[in-house]
Amino acid sequence: MIAFLTRHEWKLLATNEVVRIVIAVFGAALVFASLLGVARARAEDTAAIPIARSMRADAIANERGAVLVMPPAPMASLAAGQSDVYPGYLKVTARNVDALVTGDQVAHPLAVASGHFDVAFVILFLYPLLVFAISFDLTAGERDRGTLRMVLAQPVGLRDVVAGKMIARAVLLGVPVIVIPILAASSAAPPLLAAWTAAVVAYGLIWHGIALIVNARGWNAATNALVLAGIWLLFAIVGPATINLIIDLRYPMPSRVTAAVQARAATQEATVQGNRELGQFLQDHPTSSNVGREGMRQFAMLQAARDRQIAERLQAVETAFEEQLQRQQRLAAWLSVLSPTMVAQGVLLETAGTGRTRFEHFNAAAGRFQAEWKAYFEPRVLDAATLTADEVRDAPKFNYADDHSVTREVALPIAGMAIAGVILVWLGFRSYRGYEL
Amino acid sequence: MTRGPAFLAIAVKDATETWRDGRFRWAAGLLFLLLVAAIAGGAQHQSRIAQQHADAQAAERDAWLDKGDMNPHAAAHYGAFVFKPVQPLSAIDPGLDPFLGVFVFLEAHKQQLARHRPIEDAAPTRRLGLLTPATAALVLLPLLVVSLTFSSFAGERDQGTLRPLLALGISRWSLLLGKALGAMLPLIAVMIPAAIVAAAFVFFNRPADPDAPIGARAFGLLLVYLAHALVWTGAGLAVSARARSQAAALVVLLALWFANAFVMPPLAMAIAKAISPSPSAMQFAAAIENEKAKWPDWDTRVDRVMERFLDGEFESTMAPANVEVVALIESEAAETALYDRHFADLFSAYAGQTEIYERASIMSPTLAARMLSMALAGTDDAHDREFAAAAGRYRSQMLTTLNSELAGAGRLNTFDYVRGRDLWEKVPPFDYEVPGVAWAVSQRLASMFALAGWLAIAALAAVASMSSMKVE
Repeated sequence: MIAFLTRHEWKLLATNEVVRIVIAVFGAALVFASLLGVARARAEDTAAIPIARSMRADAIANERGAVLVMPPAPMASLAAGQSDVYPGYLKVTARNVDALVTGDQVAHPLAVASGHFDVAFVILFLYPLLVFAISFDLTAGERDRGTLRMVLAQPVGLRDVVAGKMIARAVLLGVPVIVIPILAASSAAPPLLAAWTAAVVAYGLIWHGIALIVNARGWNAATNALVLAGIWLLFAIVGPATINLIIDLRYPMPSRVTAAVQARAATQEATVQGNRELGQFLQDHPTSSNVGREGMRQFAMLQAARDRQIAERLQAVETAFEEQLQRQQRLAAWLSVLSPTMVAQGVLLETAGTGRTRFEHFNAAAGRFQAEWKAYFEPRVLDAATLTADEVRDAPKFNYADDHSVTREVALPIAGMAIAGVILVWLGFRSYRGYEL
Repeated sequence: MTRGPAFLAIAVKDATETWRDGRFRWAAGLLFLLLVAAIAGGAQHQSRIAQQHADAQAAERDAWLDKGDMNPHAAAHYGAFVFKPVQPLSAIDPGLDPFLGVFVFLEAHKQQLARHRPIEDAAPTRRLGLLTPATAALVLLPLLVVSLTFSSFAGERDQGTLRPLLALGISRWSLLLGKALGAMLPLIAVMIPAAIVAAAFVFFNRPADPDAPIGARAFGLLLVYLAHALVWTGAGLAVSARARSQAAALVVLLALWFANAFVMPPLAMAIAKAISPSPSAMQFAAAIENEKAKWPDWDTRVDRVMERFLDGEFESTMAPANVEVVALIESEAAETALYDRHFADLFSAYAGQTEIYERASIMSPTLAARMLSMALAGTDDAHDREFAAAAGRYRSQMLTTLNSELAGAGRLNTFDYVRGRDLWEKVPPFDYEVPGVAWAVSQRLASMFALAGWLAIAALAAVASMSSMKVE
């Protein structure tokens, strides 16, 4: 029976001018955002850092180092996310300090502030608005015109009629919102695409549920529209902005500025002392070009000893900062549960690979690679060796492999959204029980 | 009915009706609350960050002075941190601050971009936007304006009262004036208290530098927000006069609002990036490294200076030991020039994108108002460029002071040549003066003309819609 009603409603919707406009706008926005995203992902090329001219171990291992470029995220074309914020590459050295140097991020700050017109944006903001735009008048108009009574004179229940109407509308927007992103990111791994789609479906369910609940209140169509617009504004726009303000005030991230000064204070003595010893050495060996191999070894040892001293002192400051940062981020994450848009945004970004998880995954891999790099080169640097071409060729290579462990991490928020969506839809149908004709 | 001009009577009637409407009072009350929360939050955030930066700058100065005796070139490697001063009006519009690095490290041989954009540490959800007084004024306030104007004419027409109203002999112009005033009175009732609260917060939350002249900038901000609200009032009235029904007027205005507030910024930037691309991080770094790779290495450099010395290029008073110092100063100058050039290229690429972005405000008054708002708050990219330039100048001044001391002594790697506090004091503390309001506005003339143009267009559209308004 519901299938029949859905088909019937579908035919009605197909002739509705407003619905046609909504679908056209939605489809155009999704396609346009996809095209922009594909173009953006293609533009992310890499330029090679030149090779070192000297074959001294120090020049190869530290001055040039290894430049690790994060490969484009699997679904960056759907959600640009933080790809313009996190450093796009890291430089690895065999030293104790500056072992992992983050590259600058040079995207125009105004561009970062303006955000991206990407598929995620269309899904997060436009999709719920259009869900409301085509479902603010599920039954109110028909009731006020008296035709609903006539429909219910047939052997059908009100809730079957409502279900038919809602399913038809859900399919109408659901097909483009699911299909177009899959086409745009067809090369991504299936588990990621599945997680993305599940998140979109769950997010849609929440908004359809809200629309049902409001419709079931029995107001007239104009009131429904006003109330739904207010809810959208509150949940999608004002809510996230307010929560972000609360996060900024209640759980401020530790200050990088203060940390820089603390790091300076902690390492000052070791730096000055180390530099003095190096200076003493240079004075004893006045011309740098002819200190001899033994002299260069001594210099390398002194340098390494200074770096170790500095690194030890730096560690306490850096660890404290990182712990504080992570604690604040965890606390902040909890607040965002209050807005479905924030939860969905988090899931979409993580799945697309432009959120924090993939960046941290890459950083961890770079850290492991640094250990290899250091193990290979440090003895040679301390030996003041000149490397052979073979030695350079046999140096550790960095191969970054994306894993799809992120699907496990987003499973919980997706399940949360799905449960919330199902509850809302159920509440909506339940409240239709008392609907007055 | 109140005696006096007809438009006044209409205005008073509309404003009173709006005021009595519970929905308006809820919406206005909520907006006012959000504004106050945003202002209080912004002020608290601003003063905390400003304090951190001021403390850090003082601590850094102490560290520089107390770092002990060392060779002047070692002091150049020790380097100096320069922290970005926080603008007092960033409490109203933080603008690009969250997206800009907070400090620059100045050192010998290489120049860095400002590091640690706060957005890197924030949760990705931060990208969904932050409630600031500026967003409240530029995004939420227009929504209130829309709710006040969409039914102005369309509502009367839907109820069939438009024709009787005109039949009373009221001219269309005084009807327009009355409707405009009627919409603006409740708006002003929200804006004036908000402006007073904002002024109080900014005043009592004065930063480390209490003499910073912010009066003109703050007044400018108020004008921009007011002008922007007026543009929306004009648009609302014009759409209401021509729309088929008040429902249609509401839909059109909401679509315009959504496009202005949310679609235009990323779209304008996508266009700007397509027309005037800026380098990727790797391209930028590689361009610098590639150029450096073509330079002679240190020993060759020293040998070449020695040849010139033996050719008698330098004054006879120069000792052979000075050769390395000359090589150092020359290579330092070449490095500074190289970085300056690449940084200037990067910043001009940014400026090119900003220019196109600004031109897009022909399509969107909100874009123009947003650019002006950031400029007046001192948090736009033009201000950032000025700061970066000042930091670059300070770096080269610091290096010149230290290197010229070496040139005088003629000893580079002789570490028994150490200097102390007296030399470190010759490097003045970093003191950055933020340019004045006239400069800030002069950087954003395009946006100013665009906003003024929009104001004129909105007024004309409202007037023009009067003559073509359908009565039924």
